[in-house]
This record gives sequence, C-alpha cells and structure tokens, in this order.
Amino acid sequence: MASVSVEAVRKRYGALEVVHGIDIAIPDGEFVVLVGPSGCGKSTLLRMIAGLEEISGGIVRIGERVVNEIPSKDRDIAMVFQNYALYPHMTVRENMGFSLKLRKADRDTIGERVKRASEILGLDALLDRYPKQLSGGQRQRVAMGRAIVRNPQVFLFDEPLSNLDAKLRVQMRTEIKALHQQLKTTSIYVTHDQIEAMTMADRIVVMHDGIVEQIGTPLELYDRPANLFVAGFIGSPAINLIRGTLRRDAARSWVSTDAGIDLPLNGNIIGQDGQAVVYGIRPEHLSPSDSQGLPVTVGVVEPTGASTFVYADLSGAQICGVFSERHGFNPGGKMHLMPQLDRVHLFDSATGRRLSA
Amino acid sequence: MVAVIDVQAGEKAPGRLSQEAIWGLIFLVPYIVLFLTLVIYPVGYGLILGTNPKSYVRLWTDPVFTRTIVNTVVFLGVAVNIKLFLALLLSGFFVHEKRWIRWLSVIFILPWAIPSIPTILSFRWMLNAEWGMLNSLIFRLTLEDGPNWLLDRWSGLGMISLVHIWKYLPFWTLIMLAGRLAIPKDLYESADVDGASPLQKFFYVTFPSMRNLYITCTLLSTIMSLGDFNSIYLLTGGGPADSTQTLATLGIRYAFGMSEVEVGVTTVVVALPVMLPLLVLMLRRMRKGEQP
Amino acid sequence: MSLRKVLVEARLMLLGVIIFVWTLIPIYHLFVMSITPRVETFAGALWPSRPTLENYETVVKQGHYYLEHFWQQLWNSAFVAVMVCVITLVIASTATFAISRLRVRGGRLVSNMALATYLIPPAFLAIPMYKVMGVYGLLNTQWSLILTMVTFASPYAIWVLKQYADKLPYELDEAARIDGASPLQIFRLIYLPLMAPSLVAIGTYALLLAWNEYLYAFLLLSADKDITLAVALGHFLTTDDAPFNVLMATGAVYALPPAAIYYVFRRYMVSGLTAGAVKS
Repeated sequence: MASVSVEAVRKRYGALEVVHGIDIAIPDGEFVVLVGPSGCGKSTLLRMIAGLEEISGGIVRIGERVVNEIPSKDRDIAMVFQNYALYPHMTVRENMGFSLKLRKADRDTIGERVKRASEILGLDALLDRYPKQLSGGQRQRVAMGRAIVRNPQVFLFDEPLSNLDAKLRVQMRTEIKALHQQLKTTSIYVTHDQIEAMTMADRIVVMHDGIVEQIGTPLELYDRPANLFVAGFIGSPAINLIRGTLRRDAARSWVSTDAGIDLPLNGNIIGQDGQAVVYGIRPEHLSPSDSQGLPVTVGVVEPTGASTFVYADLSGAQICGVFSERHGFNPGGKMHLMPQLDRVHLFDSATGRRLSA
Repeated sequence: MVAVIDVQAGEKAPGRLSQEAIWGLIFLVPYIVLFLTLVIYPVGYGLILGTNPKSYVRLWTDPVFTRTIVNTVVFLGVAVNIKLFLALLLSGFFVHEKRWIRWLSVIFILPWAIPSIPTILSFRWMLNAEWGMLNSLIFRLTLEDGPNWLLDRWSGLGMISLVHIWKYLPFWTLIMLAGRLAIPKDLYESADVDGASPLQKFFYVTFPSMRNLYITCTLLSTIMSLGDFNSIYLLTGGGPADSTQTLATLGIRYAFGMSEVEVGVTTVVVALPVMLPLLVLMLRRMRKGEQP
Repeated sequence: MSLRKVLVEARLMLLGVIIFVWTLIPIYHLFVMSITPRVETFAGALWPSRPTLENYETVVKQGHYYLEHFWQQLWNSAFVAVMVCVITLVIASTATFAISRLRVRGGRLVSNMALATYLIPPAFLAIPMYKVMGVYGLLNTQWSLILTMVTFASPYAIWVLKQYADKLPYELDEAARIDGASPLQIFRLIYLPLMAPSLVAIGTYALLLAWNEYLYAFLLLSADKDITLAVALGHFLTTDDAPFNVLMATGAVYALPPAAIYYVFRRYMVSGLTAGAVKS
C-alpha cells in the first residue's frame, strides 16, 4: 500500500490541453473518488496514474517513487475497467491468476492467492467458467478479483459499475466499500455518478473542464460547496439556484430576485449590497409554511412513499422541495416554502464562488 | 523553486520510444521487407521495362494487340456484369432458411474452393468439338454436328466468360448474401405491414440497401477479372490464332512465348490509365467503412 | 399448405435443381472422364460403358510419362502451400498486431500499402516478378514460388485480420499491460488466442491460394522434380494426344485436398472471408 500524489499534472493532445495542472495528495489507505461530468478529464487523469496515457507535464508519485516514466506493469497497481476487460479465452481462475503467472509466481502461490480472493468475493463456484458464462455482476466481481489477487499498492477503478443495472449497482457499491474497509488498499475511483461518489468516498475530487473544482469529504462538499458547479453537481434532486441581488442594511441581509421577491438570509454573509448573486437552497432544506418564506404555486407532486417531491413555480423560477411528512399538496394551489436559514448557500454570480462563510 | 524544477523533470523527454513503439516497429518489419523487395521492386522494375518507346510502336502495329483490347473490354463487360447480377439474384435464393438450401450452398461453393486447372481442363475437353461430351450429346439428339465452341473468337470468348462465371459466381454470391443478411429484418416487416409485394420489397428495401455493396463489388470484380489468366489460358490458350487473348494473357505471350519481355510489360503499362483510377476509387471505398 | 406456398416452394426447388446441375456439370464430367477406360476417352459418353479405376491406378503408380514424379510433385504442392500458409500467418498477424493493437506510427500507411497491393492483379506482375526472382537468384527454386504467393496472400490477410483486430476491446491490452504483460506476451497470450478463428480462416485462404496457383508455379519452376502438381497438369496440354482420362484422374486427386480442407474449415472461412472481402 502506498500514498499517491499528483502534482501539477497536465495532459495535452497536440495543441489541445484537456487536463490543466492538477494537484491531489492521497494518503495511504484512502478511498478517493474522482467525479465530474463526461469530458472533465477524470478518466484521463486516472489513466495517467495507471500509465496508460503519457503524462504531458507534472509529476505522479506512487509511494515515494516518481512513476512518470515507469511502464504500467512496474507501477504495482491494479485497475478495474468499465467493460471489465476480462480475457474471454481464459477461465475465471486463469483470469485472476494471469498477473501472477506473468510475474512467474509458482503454481501453489497462484492457486492459494486466487483461492483467497475468490473466497472474499464469493467466486469459488465459478472458478472454471469462462467470462461469457457469467452474469454482469459476476463479471464485475471477477474483475475485482483480478485486481485484489495482485495485492497491489493502489487500486484504480474506471467507472466500474456503469454497465450494471440500477439494483446491482447499489449492491456492488456496498461491496466495494466493504472490500476497501477490509483490505485498506489506497483506491482511486472514477465515476460520473455523484451518488456513487457520495456513498463510497473517503474524499471526493470534483473535476470540471480539466481542473479540480473542490476536494473534500462527501459531507463537506454537501454542506459547503465551494462554488456553483459543485453545488449543482452534488446532491439529488439538485439544489435550487435562484438569481438575484444581495441587499444589506444595518439590521439584516436578504436577496431580492429579479421578480421582486425577497429571499431570507441569516447573518454570516460576505458580500456587498447590490452585488449580483445566486441563492442556493437544497430541496430537502425547505419546509412548508403558511405565510413565511417563498410564495410558490404548486406544479407537479411526486410521492415516492418515503418522501414527497414537489415541483413549484416561484415567479418563473422552478423550485423543488422534498418533504418527509405527508402534507396535502394541491397542484395549482398556492403555498409558502421556508428555507432553513443556516442551510442557505450564497454564490457570487460572476465568479461562481461561495459567499457565505 | 523546487516545484518548478520538478515540473520540468516531469516533462516527457523527446525522442524516446516507448516499449510499445519499439515492438510495433519490430512487428512491422517482416511485412515492410516483403513489401519493399517483392512489391515495390518488381513494380518499379516493370515500370522501367515499360519505358521503351519501341515497345509502344510494336504494340500499336500488332493487330493482335488491338484485338486483345476489344476482347478484354468485352470479357469484362459481359462476364463481370452477368456474374454479379446472377450473384445478386442467387443471394436471394440462398437467403431462405431451409435445410436443403443450406446443403445446396455447401455444394455451390465447390467451384471456388477447388483449383481451376482440373475444372477448366474438364470444361475444355467437354467442349471439344470432335470428342467432347457436349457435342456428342448434340449429335445423338439432333444427328448434326455441334458448334466449334472453342475454335471461334466470339464463341471462345463466350465460353471463357462462362467458365469465369462458373468459377467465381459462388464467391460473389456469398458476399451478396452477407450483404443481404445485414439488412435489418424490421425493414421487411414494416414493408409487409405496408402491403408490399415481393418485387416491391426488392426494389424499395433490398436494392437500396445493397446498391453501395453492388457498386463496390463491380469495381473489385472488374479489377480482379482483369487479372484472370487461368480462364483464358487453360481454356483456349488465347487461340485460335491469338483471337481470344486478353491483357492478362497477352503480356505472358509476348514475354515468355515470343521472348519480347519489354513488350510484354508494356501491355500491362498500357492498361494503367484505366487501372489506376479504378484502384484509387476502390481504395477509397474500402477505406471508408473503416474506423480510424 | 396453401396453393401459393406450394408454388413458391416449387419455384425454389426448380431453381435449386438448376443451380445443382450448373455447379456440378464440369465436376461430374471430370469424374466421369477419370473413370473412363482409355479406349472410350474419345466417345464423349455421359457414362462410360465400363467404368474403371485404372486411371487412378496409373496415377498412384506413376505409370505414365507425364506422371513420373507424381508423388514428388504432390509433396511439392503440399510443401509450398504449407510454407505459404505459415509465413503469411506470421507476417500478417505481426503486422496487424503492430498496426491495430500497438498503434504504431505509420501503421495506417502500411495498411494502405497492403490494401493497394491487394488490388494489383497478380497476373499483371508476372513478368517483373520473374525478372526480380532472377535477380535474387531464386528462379527455379520453390522459395521463389513461396515468397511470391506470400506476397499476394498477405495483403488480403492483413486487411481481413485488421478488421477483426480492430474489433477486440482495447481495454484487454491495457488490462494485460497493467497485469504485467510485455507487448510480446500480449501478442502471444492475448492477441493470438483471441484471433484464432480469423487466423484459421486466413491460414486456409493462404493454403488454398498457394495450392491452387498455376501461373506463377508454371513461370517460376521448371525442373520436373521441383514443379507443383498444378504445373504437371498443365504439361498435359503440351501435346495433342494427351491421355485425357489420366489427366482427369490426376486432376481429381489434386482437387480433393483443397475441397476437404475447405469443408473442414468452412465455418471459419465463410464468415471470416466474406466479412473482410468487401465493405460497403
């Protein structure tokens, strides 16, 4: 096991730069998730760490070693691919033992390590099958098995769950996390799915357009998004963002929307009167109220059982609320939604930066 | 300061090849060597042999040459088009999923799978005017002598085309069959729903989907048939009196039959203005469907 | 069954009979002639009055002037075909691995060159190839024929193999690299096994191409002990009073191995070769 550090790493294809100097320090044993929309450079970064892409600039270290010029096979890493990349002509046993065979491990060692990995993953009964005889979830597990047999310093995961159906994805998510808690191997996991990131990560790296937007624990990102992009990316349903102007007087601060509605704020605000801002409040931090808060017209109501989603109109802006209590919502009816003031996020409209302390 | 130095150390040193690049070059060497020694060299050699102006004069004044050009054009025009049209039709027969048709397709491939020599020589004997099975049969049925199949220019060329079609029809039928099988079934189903007759289905579904393939096949088959040496040499030997030569056999006749090597090569060089555009067109078409 | 269905079926049957007869006529004729006794050679009968195996006996016992070296020539054909098959497979599999999997610089150029070569009719290159083989001092050796046939077989082999190689997921190579495989190991342990079906198709193609070749065999080889069976068959044509029945028996023996090989590997051939032959 080892730490991984990425220092000012860049990736260029000819004149086009797709990764613009990224710094991430990953301590030994941590589970880090790189998340972001497609094209943000997260997979490219992972592949540079894996040695599958050349590093155009900067340094990647695994442990104390700079690995820029070291071929993949000597980096002591294991990788799980999106389409599993199982060798179709080998049995599960041969797939899992392949790396050890290449390293000229003796037969007994290979047998024993494969056996141990297959026990951990519950693959014992499938060892003599070929990949095409396995279900998607089983293939996924073999891909993991192939990685853990090696006992590498770092695990790399490239969207490993995106080919599975929704139910299996949730299950494998838990399994991978449990596996990490058992093995404690440093892991870097790439996904575009923020729920996967939130549920699995020790720390999340949010990437966008080849740069890092924010690094933090899942709850840090949720509670204190550093900018508009992170606020919009983390959380489901997505945060409500309303444009307006910051107003302050001696007594209080509030945001006045273009439609002339006043949105309440508490005191911990950086920013000046008259500044153009974006007011953010997560759907789960709104509560129904008789007369206080945002005056809205109820649109669509979606009960899911555990909670109820309400989509409402605030003078032209769409607002979503999530409530665990079962109120009687009338589509077309008027009501008020009161934000929890300590959960309001305020961002500068021009830079997207966070304004609330 | 330290960071700056580190960043520069991280830049990829130019001019260094990765292990993959080195092995890639090593793996390409066998074919490149083969290509240089046995494609580029002979092609270049041939082009140089074909630069003597006297050879062109010799060809131009040889009546056999002009006749050969006509023969070649007729042979290509007749054989290629009939062959491909039949292949298109027969692919519609073999597309039926019946056990006996599958068995028949196994037999149908035979002409392509087995060597030309025995089968073409078999044709040759069968078509022999005096002793051949065909004329014996005609004599027995009509009490008249059959035609001299191979001893006349036009019927000779006809028989050459027949043999060529017999030999290569299976291959092109397979290609067309593959093309047909690639047409999505729901196109036919929706045509059925729309009440299309079989003929309408052919014209509105099959043919539009196959048109591109058909054109590619025509180009490719023209180029390949231009080089068909066996069907002519083994059936008529270019005779009688050099009246059924084509470009593929004429060059060999000059070079090895009459020891006029330069003239032989020149017959091929003369075909280049027609060949090269075909070749370029074909290259483009074959490249097009490919992923980069 | 409705009347319409019967009619459709009957039409298919009729077409089937025509195809059957058309395909088998020369093959039937070949067979009939090969079992026709010498005295009936010129009778032109649909079936000999006294079918005989004496022609095959003549062939096997090398009992005719033209067949003095029959077994040697059969061996020559086999040797040339097998060598062409092996060398073509080596050249085409290494080249496509470099182009498609290692993505070597200039790979596209090489595959274009190969494709262009595929489009040169072999008969058009006969004279310069003969001259060049003379320059290399290979004339009248079987290696001249072997190398020539490899030259004509490998472009198509590369074209077809490349199409299949491009379809293998690239992640397999990446997974193998991370697992610790060198390019050579990826070639041996991943690429070759996964390409096996198309390698069988291409190998069969090269084998048959070489076994069936007449023109180049006839140009490049001359000694009776060096020539292939194809050339020996052609020699029958040099005289007018050739023993045609013996020739046909020899031809049948010569045609049998490729037919057998084709049927054994048909499964691979049909899909493997038609897929690569033409792209539209």
